[in-house]
Amino acid sequence: MAIDTRDTREAGAFPRRFVTTTVEVEGREETKVVELPEHDPIPWDEDAQLRIVGQRAPRVDAPEKVAGRARYTADLTRPGLLHAAILRSSIARGRVSLDLAPARAVAGVLDVIGSAELDRRIRLASGALFDTTVSHAGQPLAAVCADTADAAWRGVDAIVARYEPEPPVASFDAAVADGAPTVRRSSKKPAIDDPARSPNLAFGSPDVVERGDVTRGLAEADVVVRRIYRTPVQLHTALEPHGAVAEWDGDRLTIWESTQAVFRVREQVALGLGISQSSVRIIKEHMGGGFGAKTSAGAHTFAAAILARRTGRPVRCVNDREAEQTDTGNRPSTTQRVTLGARRDGRLTAIVCEADVPLGIGGWEGGPAGMFQEMYSCPNVRTVESFAWVNTPAMTAFRAPGHVEGAFALESAMDALARELGMDPLKLRRINFAERDEKKDRPFSSNRLRECYDRGAARFDWDAKLPSSGRWRRGKGMAAQVWGAGGGPPAYAIVKINGDGSADVLTGTQDLGTGSRTILAQIAAEALGARLQDVRIVLGDTERTPYTGPSWGSMTTASVGPAVRVAAEDALRQLLEAASEVLDVEPSRLSARDGVIATDDGSGTITFRSLCDRLGDVMILGRGARGPNPTGVGLASFGAQFAEVEVDTETGVIRVVRIVAVHDAGRIINPTLAEAQVEGGIIQGLGYGLFEERVLDPATGRMLNANMHDYKIPTIGDVPRIEVELLDVPDPTANHTGARGLAEPPIIPTAPAIANAVANAIGVEMAELPLTPWRVLGAIGASS
Amino acid sequence: MRLTVNGRICQLDVAPDSTLLTVLRDQLYLTGAKPSCERGECGACTVLVAGPDGKPAPVYSCIALAHAYENDSVTTIEGLTTSSGPHPLQAAFVEHDAVQCGFCTPGQVLAGVALLARDPDPSDEAIVQAMSGNLCRCGTYPKIVRAIHSAASAMRGSNGD
Repeated sequence: MAIDTRDTREAGAFPRRFVTTTVEVEGREETKVVELPEHDPIPWDEDAQLRIVGQRAPRVDAPEKVAGRARYTADLTRPGLLHAAILRSSIARGRVSLDLAPARAVAGVLDVIGSAELDRRIRLASGALFDTTVSHAGQPLAAVCADTADAAWRGVDAIVARYEPEPPVASFDAAVADGAPTVRRSSKKPAIDDPARSPNLAFGSPDVVERGDVTRGLAEADVVVRRIYRTPVQLHTALEPHGAVAEWDGDRLTIWESTQAVFRVREQVALGLGISQSSVRIIKEHMGGGFGAKTSAGAHTFAAAILARRTGRPVRCVNDREAEQTDTGNRPSTTQRVTLGARRDGRLTAIVCEADVPLGIGGWEGGPAGMFQEMYSCPNVRTVESFAWVNTPAMTAFRAPGHVEGAFALESAMDALARELGMDPLKLRRINFAERDEKKDRPFSSNRLRECYDRGAARFDWDAKLPSSGRWRRGKGMAAQVWGAGGGPPAYAIVKINGDGSADVLTGTQDLGTGSRTILAQIAAEALGARLQDVRIVLGDTERTPYTGPSWGSMTTASVGPAVRVAAEDALRQLLEAASEVLDVEPSRLSARDGVIATDDGSGTITFRSLCDRLGDVMILGRGARGPNPTGVGLASFGAQFAEVEVDTETGVIRVVRIVAVHDAGRIINPTLAEAQVEGGIIQGLGYGLFEERVLDPATGRMLNANMHDYKIPTIGDVPRIEVELLDVPDPTANHTGARGLAEPPIIPTAPAIANAVANAIGVEMAELPLTPWRVLGAIGASS
Repeated sequence: MRLTVNGRICQLDVAPDSTLLTVLRDQLYLTGAKPSCERGECGACTVLVAGPDGKPAPVYSCIALAHAYENDSVTTIEGLTTSSGPHPLQAAFVEHDAVQCGFCTPGQVLAGVALLARDPDPSDEAIVQAMSGNLCRCGTYPKIVRAIHSAASAMRGSNGD
């Protein structure tokens, strides 16, 4: 691999090392000042000859996972380890006073903490830790630590809680109703100064984004469809609950935490405890899934840290399943009022979405507008998002937040429009293909959605008629997806060459189970000219690894990959310079492959191992940073999914027979792992479409299905035949690896593809998820 | 109580209300079986207990009272890899990438081993039936089906079928 070693710095002048750039994170754009990398690698375009990137390399940590050797947070033990458990509120709104003394008397209990025991206010996403003002059911109130987990739970049970309950504000409509009590004192003062405005509207609600003039667009339309769609609260339900093990050594704190964001947790812990970031070390080795829920320090983190400091012993605090389902974030529900206008030829003239989103007691503006703004070409688009605080647990990011909800509404409405027009739904989507990023009025770095349509339709045999009659009706449907998965800075990596020629790659990202470790090893080995088995990736440790952002927003491959590549090329440059000294040839005549450095005429070779032997104590350290994103282009991943279903018209049961998914995420670093991401996204999307729904008692604000029996996630028996195709065309404009993100995109179109197939099967539109048997029967009944 | 775990006889002091999962994890430090739902709904805690016919059966160790397994022989994921290497199903899980986060994987592998002990050539339907008590949130199911077929084939081959 040739290295571009041009020194762009001018002698005598300060080089420009930092630039301002924008990065799209979970659908929102952030502006950052970032460091320029030391060198700018030659992009891996379609002609790049790559040997390891693109291979179906086995997942590097699979052997330890199948052997049960992979250690997760709850598996960790430390000498003298204590166990902590958290008391959570059984009311959703009101006040509580606690008598902790009975818990202290329980055998095995060593310490109990409530609000009175905290020496400073610790802010969580849902409010202050152990607040005696209760604002949602499941709110943490106190923590007990004991010799055993059982004793800690007995201690929790012994705490006497006296509640003064008030009726909770449990829905969007209740929150914005006249006279509704103030749910939460907003930390951000809204821009709108209107005394009639509900105090429970969050942020700048309503958040209006408009291009063109939708009134004119609707006037120009030959056909207008108006629909209301509703989506449920979905719960992440990672198999591994949130958990932490905290241990103090003097005034230094180490926390093993199941997290997608070691540096963010460190920052929050340091801030919360009033200590410096250098006194806190966060380690995440393996984690049992996150899906967006594990991005912050939680009550369990602070409970473990504070109890460990008070007792002088390490403390483990792991959520039980009820806490995990109740209070670790969720995908919020939505009500979306959608209007689409189109000309007779199918061209969209107007897209309107008004969405109401109850966030819970905390969260951020993760609404559905993005899909409406970005998916289709349309001159007149207006989205109005209203977010409300309600007395339910805080929402948080859940795999493609907003877009999953928006896709169901937009893509269902597109099918409704197609029916009105008497047009094939796929044809309607092709007609309205967005050549450009119309939301920002700029081109996309690459958009191969039309190829996704072509290949998906061919593979699915979209034009074939599905014979359907009798009790079981068959139907087909499809839906498309856009997601800003370009990644971006900051991400850093260090490549250390060891004395035997092997390499350690240090980067502060996390592997949630997506396979980051494997694909980063492939990128490092490729760029370094090493063998894959000689490269080890070290992740998720604030003390060992350089800063990298959270693993969210489908950002890791496209953010960390380039930093790793630059660091590996930096290390290679140094290896070649050292080899030049040993082989007595110019470095420019040397290259490396499979851990062997050779001259261009093959006259001299030396292995990394021999070279490192000769170098003795020389430490080769490669350093890499993720440079800024290109300006003036939109970066997004695209895809289309096609679903075939059978619907039992007597019971309302839906059987998904087959899903064909074609996605465009630029270069695919490892097809096997990428396919796994797509399959996983589809299966979660299928759960969202068919059965997943948090059930809340509106009177008490309590969740009624906070377990894995009553909250249904897909089992192996629910999975249809899934056929995945990845276009695998590099996008060297996006970044020099040519890869974009793929973790979130595949969950986006699954539920609407299924819903459209169901509508096709039974001849009735489905306006509310999940598509439970009683909703299907209700739809059939209402139409007949 | 006496319990044989991964072929080793253990004499244990066990509280009457301890679950098999607690004993394995906290007393024997075998952490391959995972606590996840802790009420027999997800299968992450699956271990194998030898039945009367000697064939292993999957047990949700999180809701199994330890004392009910007095003198029984338990196999955990740690006991599946022997000196001759990993079990063919473990190898197949790696080969077919039937692993993402890996948290449910020990339970999935053991449930699959129990299936293959009863049915050396399971149909897709038999696999779905046997594995439906082991949940995976990452969505490795399609690859688990492939891995089980692959291991079944390899095991039949090595048994001279």
